[in-house]
Amino acid sequence: MDKQKPEYFRPALIAGAIAGFLSGFPFFGLFNCVCCLWIVGGGAVAVKLLSKSTPGILSSSDGAVVGALTGIVASVVHTVLSLAFKPDIETARRVLDWLSGMGVESPSNVESMLESGSAFRSPGWILLGLFVTAAVYAVMGGLGGVIGVSLFAKKAAPPIQPPPPPPATPTPTPPGPADAV
Amino acid sequence: MEPRSVRRVWLLTLCGTVIWLAAIVLAPWLAGRGAGGAARFLYAVFAPVCHQIADRCFVLSGHPLAVCGRCLGVYAGFAAGLVIYPFVRGFSRLALPSARVFLLMIFPMALDAVAGILGIWGSPIGIRFATGFAWGTILPFYFVVGVSDFISARKSRAVARALARTATKKVE
Repeated sequence: MDKQKPEYFRPALIAGAIAGFLSGFPFFGLFNCVCCLWIVGGGAVAVKLLSKSTPGILSSSDGAVVGALTGIVASVVHTVLSLAFKPDIETARRVLDWLSGMGVESPSNVESMLESGSAFRSPGWILLGLFVTAAVYAVMGGLGGVIGVSLFAKKAAPPIQPPPPPPATPTPTPPGPADAV
Repeated sequence: MEPRSVRRVWLLTLCGTVIWLAAIVLAPWLAGRGAGGAARFLYAVFAPVCHQIADRCFVLSGHPLAVCGRCLGVYAGFAAGLVIYPFVRGFSRLALPSARVFLLMIFPMALDAVAGILGIWGSPIGIRFATGFAWGTILPFYFVVGVSDFISARKSRAVARALARTATKKVE
């Protein structure tokens, strides 16, 4: 039996955009520390959307695919938002210089943190980060999708029982030895 | 679904998890031995998936692990779940855990994490690890089923396409 392939892209795009936005946004992104909560949740939400638009029953495979796509979309949105919300290194350095001019001592490891921060802003690191994020989010989203199938997807209808046979007309039986007891 | 195929998915997942865990431990070990460049690369690989706050990480060779205690718990729990998978489920059937089991396993970590983020309490790293571990244990029971089912569905589609092609050729 070959069932029709569900339309994965639209639910993945919607759920991925929401999950990526929540992951990359300050404060809300903290909830991603709970095992990529937004991404796993995004995968599950994508399955919910998919089950609404698909008449048939969804399998674990459908959940894994739509969840993985959700994770990939979320990773792109997350990376773009993270770049937008990251503090500007030059501005931070100027603020530190100004503070030290005022006699305020900055923590000893601030300079190394700024250096590593600026190193991670190079295009190479950003691409590496995007690749790793996409890979991990695809796995986590896929997991969320399979979890979503177990929680939200329509369950298979129980097999239809054949109607019971009509009651047979009782045929008179001759009395046997058992009837005599 | 053939048991051999499920076993292959399980084995590959186990290998991937061991490599992932080894990389987490390797980062501080390399940093401790003075291989700063390689260590920085590994820390950067894990940076997008974990906050890496040093106070919340286990320490090795004087350096924090590449992920926090909770993430380490999730990954270690995933590995533990994979180890017990063949004894609990076997390779001959594909079944997802029930919603009740799912809620039971996620509840401790969700409670601990949400309370921590909202500032209600700050749990020690051991608790973070333990709650993450519990949640991670159930994840392979979704992962192996999902990937195995995906491979099986692809195979069935390929067979159906090949049959349709053969039928078309015969008609021609």
